[in-house]
Amino acid sequence: MQQRRIFAASLLSALMASGAAHAEYSAGDEIKVLQGFKAGGGSDALAQLTQPFLRESLDVEFINEYLPGATGGIAWTRLAKQSPNDGTVISITNTPMLMTNYIMNEEINYSIEELTPIANVVTDPGIIVVPKDSPYQTVEDFFAAAEERPGELTVGNSGVGGDDFFSTIMIEKATGLSFQKVPFQGDGPSATAALGGKIDASFNNLGNVYGHIQSGDLRPLAVFAQERIGVLPDVPTLVEMDIDVVAGSSRGYSAPAGIPDEARADLIAAFEALKDNEEFQATAQERAMNLEILTGDEYGQMMENMEGQFEVIWDEVKDEVEG
Amino acid sequence: MENLVLVGLTNVLTFTNIALILGGTLLGLFVGAMPGLSATMALALLLPLTFSMDPATGLSMLAALYVGASYGGSIAAILLRTPGTPSAAATVLDGYPLSQQGHAGKALGISLFASFVGGLMSGIALLTAAPLLGVLVLKFGPIELFAIAVLGITIIGSLSQGSVISGLLSGALGLLVSTVGMDLITGTPRMTFGNINLFSGIEFTVALIGLFSIPQALVLIENAKGSQKTASKITDRLIPKLSEIRQLMPNIFRSGGIGIITGLIPGTGGDTASWFAYNEAKRFAKDKSRFGKGDIAGVAAPEAANNAVVGGALIPTIALGIPGSSSTAILLGALMVQGILPGPNLLTDYGDVTYTLIWGVIVANIALLGVGLMFTRLCVSVTRVPDSFVACAIITLCVIGSFAINNSFFEVGLMLGFGLFGYWMNRAGVSPAPMVIGLILGPVMETSYQQSMLIGQGNPTIFLTSPIAVVLFAIAIFSILQATPFFRWVRGVLRPGTQA
Repeated sequence: MQQRRIFAASLLSALMASGAAHAEYSAGDEIKVLQGFKAGGGSDALAQLTQPFLRESLDVEFINEYLPGATGGIAWTRLAKQSPNDGTVISITNTPMLMTNYIMNEEINYSIEELTPIANVVTDPGIIVVPKDSPYQTVEDFFAAAEERPGELTVGNSGVGGDDFFSTIMIEKATGLSFQKVPFQGDGPSATAALGGKIDASFNNLGNVYGHIQSGDLRPLAVFAQERIGVLPDVPTLVEMDIDVVAGSSRGYSAPAGIPDEARADLIAAFEALKDNEEFQATAQERAMNLEILTGDEYGQMMENMEGQFEVIWDEVKDEVEG
Repeated sequence: MENLVLVGLTNVLTFTNIALILGGTLLGLFVGAMPGLSATMALALLLPLTFSMDPATGLSMLAALYVGASYGGSIAAILLRTPGTPSAAATVLDGYPLSQQGHAGKALGISLFASFVGGLMSGIALLTAAPLLGVLVLKFGPIELFAIAVLGITIIGSLSQGSVISGLLSGALGLLVSTVGMDLITGTPRMTFGNINLFSGIEFTVALIGLFSIPQALVLIENAKGSQKTASKITDRLIPKLSEIRQLMPNIFRSGGIGIITGLIPGTGGDTASWFAYNEAKRFAKDKSRFGKGDIAGVAAPEAANNAVVGGALIPTIALGIPGSSSTAILLGALMVQGILPGPNLLTDYGDVTYTLIWGVIVANIALLGVGLMFTRLCVSVTRVPDSFVACAIITLCVIGSFAINNSFFEVGLMLGFGLFGYWMNRAGVSPAPMVIGLILGPVMETSYQQSMLIGQGNPTIFLTSPIAVVLFAIAIFSILQATPFFRWVRGVLRPGTQA
């Protein structure tokens, strides 16, 4: 009840704040947002979170166009190859999917050079969870068991090419351990399999499993963040254990390459302003979305780092996976 | 606990909420009746509307929409041989022959009544047993899902009217088509011919629309001479006779049960449940020969089952925060927007909202009965429109529906391709129904097989480690043997005189 009231209040005040801080968007009064997934999914959740706020600050209408298929590949190909680069079309870009799509499939031939990174908005950090009756109390237990029985512990991920798949490999490389990787069709089924004790652990994302952690049905062993997470202060990061793995699933916005500088600056300024917007922060927190706002070149750098990292990993494991 | 149940009930029973439930049901009926427009799609589109509403109001409306769409799919299936939703595909088999014989009203009435009972059953299961049944879900991992898929595949044998060989051919084609797209284990595309539109596989609804609707439209055009009217005149009553209801009750209860259980298991939904229920109705029937030619039991079973799936799929959603179907995943999204995180605390910490949703489902089913009776009468007038117009309308709806799935013309082309193939199948006397089963279960079977083998380190005996799976496999084997001459011979030996 309490939370509902806060939400209603924040929505109301967001609507009322519309009088203040009007900045005209230089590229027009309409922005089309290409979404690579179906309406109602995680990308849509981001759109519903940010766009009402951006609408006020940029004074534009957003039109969402859903183009599901090829894990976002269809929408991103359209963005990079077939969209006008005048600032009227942008897209929600999910990393690392945005890069792994074309790293893993030669048929998908856009690349991040053909995009203008605008801003990353949310990052859901990676996490290791085990069933509540699992013998592994700590991540040390788990890694020790993996050392004893290499390649036997079953570890669920959200699918080959997803962030959990790559973070499992990053951990394997950093520790010298090996796991039996079991891909599922998304984070949800992977978490369900861990809940039912069908697999030894699930490498998942915090937002998807937080409810089950709270209820005690899943035990978190480690998070793949730079620092410990506020809501899980007792769960160690891998970095603390000298395993240099920071990974997660992020969503942000990008435009086609070569959009006018002014439009780019307007968009970046609007996202920068979200950093100081308390209503925005509160709304995000209610919806359990972990904000990590990185704009412009910072977001571009994040993409380039991931691209480099995943190209190397995929080159190494490609033959084994595609067997 | 008791208290929260009552809070939920009073939340639902306000004027605004009842009005929105009626509106949601009507909208659901409409969406369900349109081929290609699914409940999931409508839920996703309506979701942003509920953001500013009170949670009770928003959720009741969404639940009503889901319930309405589950029945709506049968209207076009019965009248036009065009399933409005994937879960109404099984209804076509007996529903359309009934309407051709002039019993469209009866078929729709039975379908509405069965939907109502199935939906109500699942609503009650949701209200009373959600926490108990929810735990069941976790017992179904990849190994058990594989067993379910195998059992489902055995239905193909019993669905092939006429030649078993052509039925198996059709089923195998379905399995083959279902392999198009990204391989889950290797992450590489298969049979996509470098076309990224095929990377996510062939959208099942596209194939369904093509296989059932286009051939039907072509047949209507072929048979339309002058301005002749359709064969089916609706002179019969919509409200089923008491004797018919009494006779159908065991069937409806069984199918409702099947729907609830199938809804519970993540990865299977209304499409699978309706085929399972149809098959069981046929297995239990005294006179199997009337199935496929217009048996009311063949309408009641899939319809009771697909409406029962609604409540069934909500059980794990509510008890554990695990969506049982793509539609419930969106309902879960609606809860999250209200600041409620999915998880086992839905029934406790957020009980007021959750019980509102549950009561919303129950009230929506009651609303369905009323709205359905009025709306269906209206729909029945379709049968008085000349065939050639109906055929054009079907094709238009098919194009719109297949475009709406991914907002792309690729799917429209694909749908037309399936349509021509379906027409050829019709001509060759090959039933498209087994192909649909293959398409539904192929991905489930393949994925769960690969996952099981990974979990079992490549050792196939992993399938025998799960008691649930072993029982399901045994039923599958029995089901196959039943259809072979060997079984008839054994029965003949055991019970002389009853040999078929």
